[in-house]
Amino acid sequence: MTELYATFIFLFVLFLLLGSSVWVGLALMGVAWVGMELFTARPAGDAMITTIWTGASSWTLTALPLFVWMGEILFRTRLSQDLFRGLAPWMRWLPGGLLHTNIAGCTLFAAVSGSSAATLTTVGKMSIPELRERGYPEYMIIGTLAGAATLGLMIPPSLTLIVYGVTINESITKLFMAGVLPGLVLAGLFMTYIFAWHYLRPHERPEPLPKMGFGEMMTESRFLIPVLMLVFVVIGSMYFGWATATEAAAVGVVGALLLASLQRSLTLDTFVASLMGATRTSAMIALILMGAAFLSLAMGFTGLPRALAGLIDTWNLSPVVLIAVLTLFYLVLGMFMDGLSSVVLTMAIVEPMIRSAGIDVIWFGIFLVVVIETAQVTPPIGFNLFVLQGMTKHEISYIAKTAIPMVVLMLLMVVILVVWPELATWLPENLSKNAR
Amino acid sequence: MNDWAAFLGLPLWFWLFILPTILAVGAAVFRNRAEPLLTPIWQRLDRVYTAFGALAACFMSVILLIIIAQMVARWSNVAFQGSTEFAGYAMAATSFFAFAYALNNGAHIRVSILLNINDFTRKWVDIWALFIASIIATYFARYAIKTNVLSEMLNDRTQGQDQVPDWVLAAVSTLGTWPTGWGELWGRVTGEWVFTPVWLPQLPMSIGTVLLAIALWDNLIRLVVTGRSHIASETLI
Repeated sequence: MTELYATFIFLFVLFLLLGSSVWVGLALMGVAWVGMELFTARPAGDAMITTIWTGASSWTLTALPLFVWMGEILFRTRLSQDLFRGLAPWMRWLPGGLLHTNIAGCTLFAAVSGSSAATLTTVGKMSIPELRERGYPEYMIIGTLAGAATLGLMIPPSLTLIVYGVTINESITKLFMAGVLPGLVLAGLFMTYIFAWHYLRPHERPEPLPKMGFGEMMTESRFLIPVLMLVFVVIGSMYFGWATATEAAAVGVVGALLLASLQRSLTLDTFVASLMGATRTSAMIALILMGAAFLSLAMGFTGLPRALAGLIDTWNLSPVVLIAVLTLFYLVLGMFMDGLSSVVLTMAIVEPMIRSAGIDVIWFGIFLVVVIETAQVTPPIGFNLFVLQGMTKHEISYIAKTAIPMVVLMLLMVVILVVWPELATWLPENLSKNAR
Repeated sequence: MNDWAAFLGLPLWFWLFILPTILAVGAAVFRNRAEPLLTPIWQRLDRVYTAFGALAACFMSVILLIIIAQMVARWSNVAFQGSTEFAGYAMAATSFFAFAYALNNGAHIRVSILLNINDFTRKWVDIWALFIASIIATYFARYAIKTNVLSEMLNDRTQGQDQVPDWVLAAVSTLGTWPTGWGELWGRVTGEWVFTPVWLPQLPMSIGTVLLAIALWDNLIRLVVTGRSHIASETLI
């Protein structure tokens, strides 16, 4: 009975600290401290620092600041103009026309950036004004952008997948590879939505674009070459096993710096701004990871994860039902928290659960990213909605409404992942042998 | 060892938790007199946070350089011993040095639902959150220092293959020793390479966590005195 009482206090403190706006990393530390004091006689402070120091100085984590930095550099270059100019000639022939630049632009930028807000801003600052000028309906511009930007978290590199990999101690390279195919399928789903709009609402189509010669199309496409090379070097080097995730990130930073200096958009100011921006973001994530490391230590002592995993075992839930329940759980959690925090907060409990249910952890990482992405575009807390609000000055409710079809498509993606798990697991299993 | 041993006749927890709280309450009561007194301190502290943010950025560049060096070494079949450990130490330094700077620029995230209800909750929930966060960060800093000191006393060495020249250790130790001990300290230097003692990479942890605790107490006092903390709008990932 006292055990139950202690568990109750522990959970109460958890909700109290997180709910009352204490910074997530520090709140997790506070909760973990309470857990240690309640459930074990071990000295909490010393155990805390030992755990945190081991995690904070680990080699795996070094991929994080470098990928953040790479994204920061590209964010400050003229890449968004280049993406639009290079992609537009290819998209104008498709049914739905230039709206597809939103999807293709996000997919390409996602392959060099690990954040969905950066993807959204980079692609949106060019595509929103252009598409408005061409007369595409506002709800299609905003909706497709809100949805497609979430690819930033799915297609490698992905900060969420790094955080997930560090939290459960799995290979980041494998997780990255697992994200490639589902990311492309999701992009395909978004494009299908644009096709459907094109045929179902013919009266909303803008005037057809003037014809463009093949030669002109090719010359415009040259703008895509640098970014395609960067994508190939970063993802390719991991796939073929030439480099670890961290090394690929280092190559990415150097490549991004080269690309920026070729464009002549690399000034001392942008360099310093990218460096300091990356420092802030990685410090933020590091603090959360430290809190999470201490919390998962404390969780082990509370016995909660074991009890829950055991409970799930006795219920004999099929993995499909478990996944359905978890989907709902993360969507609700996503109403109050950002994606990173919900991953680190829950993994200590969810990891034993999925392992005992026999669910592949790599697959689960991709599933988690899709669900978290969905939560990013649903109110009241959805970072992509906030970013879009800042860019377009529309009401959150309007933006959320335009994104509803995307939410449906992302939930469809969860179903697809459940039906064809190979989509996520095939690539990492067939990685080149020398890949680490 | 008692974690909260007495210092100047009062237990350590009084100095770490109660004294800053009294200061904050005092600043809130004597708001008008505190503001002109504290403004120059705030300006200096802001500069300190930014300086350590810049230092963190330097360590981030060091990660990049170490990893590039590691790749070059591998291609040219040269051994770069302990490169992964060094990159890890640089990673820790990057994170810890940047905490206060990130806080002061609103980079750390939190659940802001209660905060955003109205002006009343914005102020009082923020005071509560800053207070709790200050306590946790101070606790964090206290044990970071304890662990760091213990690593030095027990002469803990790295478990990897990384080595540093002993004059580097002496140079860093110089800063923490009275001038009377400098002769003895440098007398022992032979220029040999030794396995990295853990206290050296742990120094950024002690410094960074102390700075984070100071930044939180500092912002709490700013909030009660001026009605708003210096923490800028929350950024997004």
